[in-house]
Formats: sequence, structure tokens, C-alpha cells
Amino acid sequence: MIRLRWGDGVVVALATALVTTSFALSYAPAAGPTHLVVTQAGTEPRHYPLNESRTIRVQGVAGITEIEIQSGRARCLRSPGSRGICEAAGWLERPGDMAVSLPNRLTLQVQGPQRRFDSMHY
Amino acid sequence: MTTVPALADRRIAALAALAIGLQVIEAAIPSPVPGIKPGLANVITLVTLVTLGWRAALAVTLLRVMGSSLLLGTVLSPGFWLSLAGALAALAVLAPLLRLYPRHLSALGLAVTAAMAHTLGQFLLAWAVIIPHPQLPLLLPPLLLAALITGLVTGILTASVLADPRIQRHVFDPSTNQSG
Repeated sequence: MIRLRWGDGVVVALATALVTTSFALSYAPAAGPTHLVVTQAGTEPRHYPLNESRTIRVQGVAGITEIEIQSGRARCLRSPGSRGICEAAGWLERPGDMAVSLPNRLTLQVQGPQRRFDSMHY
Repeated sequence: MTTVPALADRRIAALAALAIGLQVIEAAIPSPVPGIKPGLANVITLVTLVTLGWRAALAVTLLRVMGSSLLLGTVLSPGFWLSLAGALAALAVLAPLLRLYPRHLSALGLAVTAAMAHTLGQFLLAWAVIIPHPQLPLLLPPLLLAALITGLVTGILTASVLADPRIQRHVFDPSTNQSG
């Protein structure tokens, strides 16, 4: 029914290229997190690299928070909070992911080379 | 004394009325994502463009944007300016491409170009003036993809409208096709 012309092919090809390029530029996979930042009330934030596996024990006002770093990610292994909120955050593996222990007044956040938003709403 | 509107004026009024109707109906369709909609009124703009020329298309477009925003209650709101920016961007790109129609470019190519230009024009206005947020470009790729798809759909619709002898009898008239 439609008599397609060569210009249609050019237009559709250019438009497809524009869409593909915009997706590639905007949604290029972000580099994984490179370090863990432990922020505790009353102390300087401490940075730990994520490329070496280790377990960190942080003494807080309510007890000891145990943090596990393994293969580029980190998690809250044990924390004194009775509701297990810190542990429930699971593995922190994307830049911006965060676990919080309110009883120990500390936050754990993994960060990449650039700060990123953890979520967007509109 | 009554004046009878010229034939061209009556055609523009009729096409603008159709475009306003389509846009108002479309506004009632819920959209999963703000900013994505079929753009059916674009069919009318394209039909006007290839039958009556770009001046008539500009008139129909301005009447459509103003008329539909009056009916929807969005006059001078951000949505109104976005609608206007998109419509003018689409026309600005279409006017030079009209030379290629129909020998080198069919209504499909015109519609896809118009849809992409519409989305880009809206986006640039939104980013520059309305929501100057550094992360706003993250919204552009899905909007452009939607524009490509809706452009193809409106292009097919435009081609079938233009091919319909009933529409041609009312709209198409070679004697008024000189301005294009």
C-alpha cells in the first residue's frame, strides 16, 4: 500500500542509529563499586578497597558489627540490631548500595569512581 | 454583511478541528510513561503538509496546540509549551524535507522524522528550561525509541489516509498544491 522510497530507508536507519546511540551513551553499564565507606557517628569515614577479601569488625555503642568484603562486594554479616535490618540489606554490589545499623550508629555504602544516585523518582 | 471564508481557510479549519479532536481523545488514553503517546494528531499535520503546503500545516499546528490546550485546560502550562516546542521542531525539520516528497521520501519517512524531531524539541525545552536536571538525559533513549515506533505507526496511518479516495476527494486538490 505504501510505496517506500530510498529516503525512507535513510530516515529509518538514521532514527534507529540515533535511538541505539542514545541508549548506548545513557545506559552504558556502570563500573562496579571500588570501595566500601564505613561512616560511624563520632568518627571519620573509613574507606576499604573491595578487591581484597577480608572481614572487618567495627566496635559501636551497641556491640560489634561484622562486615564481610568478598570479590568486589560487601555485606553486613552480623550486627547487634535485634531486627536484622543491617544484615537484610544483603550484598552491596552496585555503587550507592547501602546498609545501615542504627543501634551502632553506622552506615555502610559501596561507591564507584563517581557518586551515583541510588534511585530516581518523578 | 457576511464574508464567506476562502476555501483554503475552511480546509485549514476542518483539518485543525480533526487534529484537536484527535489530540483531546488521545489525552484521555492513559500512558504508562509520561511523555509517551501515539501522536495521532501528527497524521493531520502530515496530511495538511503534503496537500496544502507548509504554511497551512503551520496554521493547523498552531490552531491544534492552542485549541486542544484550551479544551484540556493546559494553556500556558509546561505541557502547553512542550507541545508547542515539539510541534514547531517537527515542522521546522519537515519543511525542508518536503522537497523530497513523494519522489524520494514517502509519508513514512516524513512521519518518522517528525516524531523524532518532536521528541527532541520537547526534550531540549524540558532540559533547558523546565527541568534542568543533570540526569534528565536518562529519559531520552526510551522517549526516542517510543518516537521511532509511533512515527512508523503514524506514517503508515498517514499513507493510508492519503491513499483513500474519499479523503483525496475532500482534501487533495492539485490547484491548491502550489504553495508546497
